[in-house]
Amino acid sequence: MKINLRNMVLLAGGAALLGGCSTLGVKPWQRDVLARADMQLNAEPLDAAIDDHMYFSKEASSGGRGFAGGGCGCN
Amino acid sequence: MQLKRARCRLIAASCALLGATAARGQDASSAAADSPSGDWNIDSAIAYYHESGRIKAIEPIVNISKDYGDGNTFGAQLVFDSLSGSTPNGALPSTRPQTFASPSGKSLSAAPTTYTTSSGQLVSQSAPIYAINPGQLPMDPNYHDQRIAASGTWGHAFTRLLHGTAGGKLSYERDFFSMSANAGLARDFNEKNTTLSFQVNNEFDSLSPIGGAPVAASDYALFAKGGGKTKDGVGVMLGLTQVMTRRWLTEFNLSVDRFKGYLNDPYKIISVIDGGGNTTGYLYERRPDTRMRKSAYWENRAAWGRVSANVSMRYMVDDWHVHSDTVQLHVRWRNFDRDRYLEPTLRWYRQSAADFYTPWLDSTAGNHIGYASADQRLQAFHAVTYGLKYGVKLDDSEDQSSSQFSVRLEYYRQTPDNPRAGPGSLQGLDLYPGLEAVLLQVGWRF
Amino acid sequence: MAVLADDSRREIVPNTNRAPDAALNIEARGPDLLAVRFSAMASPCELLLPASARAHAADLGAVAAREARRIEAKFSRYREDSVVAAIHRSRGGAAGIDVDEETASLLDFARECFDLSDGLFDITSGVLRRAWKFDGSDRLPAPAAVERLLPLVGFDKLRWEPPHLFLPADMELDFGGIGKEYAVDRAYQLIAAGRDEPFLVNFGGDLRANRPTARGPWQVGVERPESDGRAALILELERGALATSGDARRFLLKDGVRYGHVLNPRTGWPVANAPRSVTVAASSCTEAGLLSTLALLHGAEAEAFLAEQGVSHWVLR
Repeated sequence: MKINLRNMVLLAGGAALLGGCSTLGVKPWQRDVLARADMQLNAEPLDAAIDDHMYFSKEASSGGRGFAGGGCGCN
Repeated sequence: MQLKRARCRLIAASCALLGATAARGQDASSAAADSPSGDWNIDSAIAYYHESGRIKAIEPIVNISKDYGDGNTFGAQLVFDSLSGSTPNGALPSTRPQTFASPSGKSLSAAPTTYTTSSGQLVSQSAPIYAINPGQLPMDPNYHDQRIAASGTWGHAFTRLLHGTAGGKLSYERDFFSMSANAGLARDFNEKNTTLSFQVNNEFDSLSPIGGAPVAASDYALFAKGGGKTKDGVGVMLGLTQVMTRRWLTEFNLSVDRFKGYLNDPYKIISVIDGGGNTTGYLYERRPDTRMRKSAYWENRAAWGRVSANVSMRYMVDDWHVHSDTVQLHVRWRNFDRDRYLEPTLRWYRQSAADFYTPWLDSTAGNHIGYASADQRLQAFHAVTYGLKYGVKLDDSEDQSSSQFSVRLEYYRQTPDNPRAGPGSLQGLDLYPGLEAVLLQVGWRF
Repeated sequence: MAVLADDSRREIVPNTNRAPDAALNIEARGPDLLAVRFSAMASPCELLLPASARAHAADLGAVAAREARRIEAKFSRYREDSVVAAIHRSRGGAAGIDVDEETASLLDFARECFDLSDGLFDITSGVLRRAWKFDGSDRLPAPAAVERLLPLVGFDKLRWEPPHLFLPADMELDFGGIGKEYAVDRAYQLIAAGRDEPFLVNFGGDLRANRPTARGPWQVGVERPESDGRAALILELERGALATSGDARRFLLKDGVRYGHVLNPRTGWPVANAPRSVTVAASSCTEAGLLSTLALLHGAEAEAFLAEQGVSHWVLR
């Protein structure tokens, strides 16, 4: 893996998560903000589906959040 | 006891107790607790996509989902899309007119029924032959396709902390059929602050290109085509979701997938150019028959009062030596009454070219080419998307099942990077025009 | 506590009447209110609705009754099939017990209240019942008997790692201190969903309303202690919850000193100079109930404690 800014940022992100996981977080009664609709990880599934389809048909990358296979003949 | 602070904690604790139990809807009676659509959440949208001078598409899509309350969930999606317009065929512009056959064509010799539009463009009507004027990017104007796809996913909670999902997807088009199945497991830790997940996906695609699948790297003019082809792929994804603070959630995914089989685009060709820049012929493309991709994805969501933000990054590499970076930013601004929002979005994307990407082939190289493709999607380019979304809540509830109407507009522009200048007479031509597209989407959720 | 309509002085019928548990009685309460009455949690319960909601009254009453009885059955000390019984069967064992989400939420709430009250609110204090019998007599327990029970009291002595609960041998859990108020809030939520018209849920004096009636605020009557010759205290409630804690019915009286039934978990003894009745208003019944219980435990300082919390309160001595 090349040493460049992007790789370092991603590695740092992953390492921070793995390292800090057991001490991070909130109590069950502190989940008010996390319960908001716009804080859900799959908050806008249709936007994501339409965008993924659009980018899959125009670019060489896909997936990341979900699977990379497009299931359509557009690439 | 610090008295005032104690009361704040008590209020928060009672809200959490009552919020948590209300959200689960335990033993909720039918008289009082249903969402307007009777437990099914329906999310629908219709999108109109238009590439400047190229493809237009209409895509209605609908998602339904239901939480049974006992740890089981079900979701299904149905999407239909209809595309038409012009699509680049991979050949390069030339200083001379060029003639091509649409995929169903059997030769270049049939006289086309042509007419000139008011903008001076030569268009073929009903016959599969199309002519391209000098200097223009060769595009097949007869492209049209319709697709229908359906998918479903079941979710099941084995224990309070262990959840599983299983799903499948089917997609039908005139020349392409795809089916896939997926399964996953997720386990919560640290009072549900951490979730580890694992997913597997398996896909099988069957292609029946119009006119047949061309023999790879064969001469275009020979129209040497065979029967249908297939490809299949497996992917795995490892995910970690972590609540960082009360206002910040993060997700990190690592995924690998590998496809094998017929990975060519059956409709794309490559121009063969001589030293003077003249096109001497065309070849069908040839790509490797395997492709393995690895990607790392990191998403962050955070909210403060009326504002929430989503920042994500993705890095992908594959064994075609394409590597890409994607950064996306969404910021949602809700109004004072929290019944409307405006969400500007920005996406920045950059990819490198596949190692066998070549805008043209050199006529002196002979016919013994290895892998080659002139498909614009494999070239080095960067792309920017600017978007704006506006949403209006149609009812009073705060959660994801509230009714909502939304409109979204996006502008996408793709610009090739470091394009190679053409030899000879091609030097004055714009060989890499890039791409511009607009998306307009209207959605209802209820 | 009774909820009155206008100036009518009709009282809540106490639970000694002959109506069977399952029955819902619907009766008028003044010219534009209906009361759907049932009994649950050893208390008379009612759901008050505008007369225009007559068509749904039985359904809504059934919702409230079902929820109250479900919570009662689930957390009852007396039933073998309750969650509390299952927890008690698991105590002392190495494996502990996995609890469901609702029980987990209540345990989280109990832990937070234990923390913020510095141990005054403690759902493990039920074992003290073995020494204290509040039958109105003058038989106080021997101090040694209470001493022996103190090691079994203390929420910090059990291990709660959601969803695993490890309860040491001989300790007890008792949700009685929050059960009724929690049931009011739950029944309230079930009925409030999508409903615009005013209503009030009242389980034996712990109550919650969503908005004022068409005629004005709900009129709530609070009984005064018998020694007080005055008429009931009338409170006006627009929205929110009221909860009352008091020792009017269960107490011991010795040498002129009254020992109320609310025990301080830290000492094992009732608090000296506790008020006879504390009524607190808050946005949820659970919150109001917690505050009224804590106020009682502050004895002579009850009024000062409540004043500092910034809640509306009525303390009767």
